[in-house]
Amino acid sequence: MAGSALRRLMAEYKQLTMDPPEGIAAGPISEDNFFEWEALIAGPEGTCFEGGVFPARLVFPPDYPLSPPKMKFTCDMFHPNIFADGRVCISILHAPGDDPMGYELSAERWSPVQSVEKILLSVVSMLAEPNDESGANVDAAIMWRERRDEFNRIAQRLVRKTLGLSA
Amino acid sequence: MESVEQDGEQVNRDDLILQQQREIEREISDSTPLVSDQLPLTCLTAEYDGDAVFTAKIQTLASKYKYMRRTRPDGNCFFRAFAYSYLEWLISNKAAYDKFRSIAETSKDKLIQLGFPSFTLEDFHGTFMEVINRVNPHNPGGVEKNQNELHTIFNEQGYSDYVIVYLRLMTSGKLQEDAEFYQHFIEGDMTIEEFRHQEVEPMFKESDHIHIIALSSALGVGVRVEYLDRAEGGTVKAHDFPEGAQPMVFLIYRPGHYDILYPN
Repeated sequence: MAGSALRRLMAEYKQLTMDPPEGIAAGPISEDNFFEWEALIAGPEGTCFEGGVFPARLVFPPDYPLSPPKMKFTCDMFHPNIFADGRVCISILHAPGDDPMGYELSAERWSPVQSVEKILLSVVSMLAEPNDESGANVDAAIMWRERRDEFNRIAQRLVRKTLGLSA
Repeated sequence: MESVEQDGEQVNRDDLILQQQREIEREISDSTPLVSDQLPLTCLTAEYDGDAVFTAKIQTLASKYKYMRRTRPDGNCFFRAFAYSYLEWLISNKAAYDKFRSIAETSKDKLIQLGFPSFTLEDFHGTFMEVINRVNPHNPGGVEKNQNELHTIFNEQGYSDYVIVYLRLMTSGKLQEDAEFYQHFIEGDMTIEEFRHQEVEPMFKESDHIHIIALSSALGVGVRVEYLDRAEGGTVKAHDFPEGAQPMVFLIYRPGHYDILYPN
């Protein structure tokens, strides 16, 4: 089973290297283990995360792509759809039925034809447009809704931090 | 599974519940082979010990079908049973095999035209064709060798599951192609699009009539399903998909699960 997962992950890595989507880089942390990847995501332009480069880690199950990977930011994050420990909470990382956050019916779900690229593009959209209905971080969701200026200031501080600049 | 944070950070309770549910399901499913050997139908009686309705119905079925094969109850049982049973039939029907192989070959381009991503589709189609080629009735060795090969392949999770992924995609493609027709089968206010992504394409999602109709129509394969349930009367109701088609695949349905049948 892990054989087909490895074959698929190698193909995805090759594809992402040859034809990377804008603002995204991803690949295995070590060539010895294709089941753990690091991704770098540029904060989308025109948003409060613009200018930041956010590192994350993806862990793939042995039956990938039948089941989705898990994804976690490894830098400090403050966002309605990211848990305090960095875990990313979006519908594409869950198969239908796996419903920790009660996602909408129309929300994009995991299926074997999805890919790492699709996940990372969804995460970029999530950074640009938080879904404050599914509160992985309730404080962030409330602040995003009610005190946007304060939210933006925190985001800008996180951006500077990812660049190694003092806050 | 990864959802428990080993480093003692925040543990998500919903994740834990999900994980536990998964483990229970896995325990049940791992104790059943993906596809079993041929078994006499009377092996079912033990599961309905002393139940008069079921016992009578199993007797009736046993007079029409000599064997059954059990499939793993993992939500993929319809697709796995269908694929195994149909390929087994094709092994001894060369002309039908050739026709099916060419349908399978061209299906990839059709799915890409329907909007499936070619990059990820490629992988599943490749494995699907490999399986079809490995049981080619024109291969030397004869029917028995092909049957053994089929049984081996279907009990290797990697191959077996990839065949299912591809059949799910073909089913989804058919639903999209004839969306207007299939919309009538969907309860509630789900769109065809939502239904395909929620109930057809993902693995481990159980199949309903709509899946069977779409797949059997897409491939032009008659499927007869015998329904073993608590309904009154000693007879077992059978249903043919698509309606009026000559069945090549015979399945038994018990609430929530499909297995393979072998007619006398």
